[in-house]
Amino acid sequence: MGTQHIVTMLPGEGTGPEICEAVRLVIDASGVNIKWEYEEIGLDCLEKHGTLLPDKTVQAIARNKIALKGPTTTPIGTGHKSANVTLRKVFDLYANVRPAKLIPVLKRPWDKIDILNFRENTEDCYAAIEHMVSDEVAQCLKVITWPGSYRIAEFAFKWAKANGRKKIYCVHKANIMKMTDGLFLDAFREVAKKYPDIESGDIIVDNCCMQLVRNPAQFDCLVLPNLYGDILTDLCAGLVGGLGFAPGANVGDNCAIFEAVHGSAPKYAGMKKVNPSAVLVSGIMMLRWMKEEVAADRITKAMFAVLDERKHVTYDVGGTATTDEYAQAIVDKMHAKA
Amino acid sequence: MPTCTDIAKATKKKREIKLVGIDMYIITEKGIPKFDDIGPFKCEFISNRGTKVWPGFVSPDLLQVNWYRCRFMATKDVQDADVNTFLDALTKKGWWWSAAQKLWNYDGEAGFSKAY
Repeated sequence: MGTQHIVTMLPGEGTGPEICEAVRLVIDASGVNIKWEYEEIGLDCLEKHGTLLPDKTVQAIARNKIALKGPTTTPIGTGHKSANVTLRKVFDLYANVRPAKLIPVLKRPWDKIDILNFRENTEDCYAAIEHMVSDEVAQCLKVITWPGSYRIAEFAFKWAKANGRKKIYCVHKANIMKMTDGLFLDAFREVAKKYPDIESGDIIVDNCCMQLVRNPAQFDCLVLPNLYGDILTDLCAGLVGGLGFAPGANVGDNCAIFEAVHGSAPKYAGMKKVNPSAVLVSGIMMLRWMKEEVAADRITKAMFAVLDERKHVTYDVGGTATTDEYAQAIVDKMHAKA
Repeated sequence: MPTCTDIAKATKKKREIKLVGIDMYIITEKGIPKFDDIGPFKCEFISNRGTKVWPGFVSPDLLQVNWYRCRFMATKDVQDADVNTFLDALTKKGWWWSAAQKLWNYDGEAGFSKAY
């Protein structure tokens, strides 16, 4: 066993707890030495403790600086605020890193997609500044700041350089929103000057959507303000197999939280039928962040092999296996190859 | 034949509107502002880039810019004239502000979001 890591596990709600147990089974079997500390978050927590994010959870994440999170529920239009957005704001997790890479065994119409999205995670229309400014007019402030824009660009270029990526494009609508998106683009261009070895450019968001569905292979890394990033990262997930296989990381200067981006699917809670792959690939991303490349590679190879065989896969990819059976098949595959 | 615009306009409902507070957007380089009560208005919270920075815990790592939203709620029934008095008092205290947004309840429900 190597160095012990302490990771905060946030199982979330709905199908979250059963997914996280399956993922823990796989990660623990990979050879990595992790001590898991379980903490609560989300709607269940609100009902029990009167808050989405109890102080105990905040303190645990602050102490461990790394967490793996299952899905949580956010109602539309009314009701409580999002646990995810609260978490991002409390820890200033300004970079949402969303890779979209083809999984070989899932048949898709494209030969190659390997896009790394860097979504600014704390500003834009997510600043929660909304008013009914008359009885028939609602207004939401789109807040874009220079330091907020500059640091996501800096983060993206640094990550790209460290991981051998070649090209970064800034996605915007600065032809219409000249002040807000203009500021975001100006900051990106300023940062790009410091990285002459990485090709940089910009693309208007609507054109980017069209280009993504026509020829996704042309893109390498994208840097996006919060709202466009929210939408385009799901589009990219759809290109490579859907949210069921989409990993995500929310990263700040002192803390990183890895999570699936799909919902909590409460109607399936307790049935143990959902695919845990999105949290699992987020866990793999977490292992690489922790420099546990060997464990990450082992799980990845075993997962691809299980998906390729199609004997022990969940219903969404044409199988009948339960969440646990799928996870156990990955564990068995890792041990068989060991 | 009514147009779609005519049909939409005809759906307007009468709603009871009540002034309950003011969101003030303050520009300062001196960090999180502190306020005493100003007339009938009491500061309820302050946010920066949408994140609450007062009262309660604020991460020392949180990126803050020089633009704060300061929410003042009325402690008694107030009128528009009270807002004018409030703005004068705030300005005289030396606060530089970029905008003020009145907060209204519509049929008893808040017409404004809370801060994270």
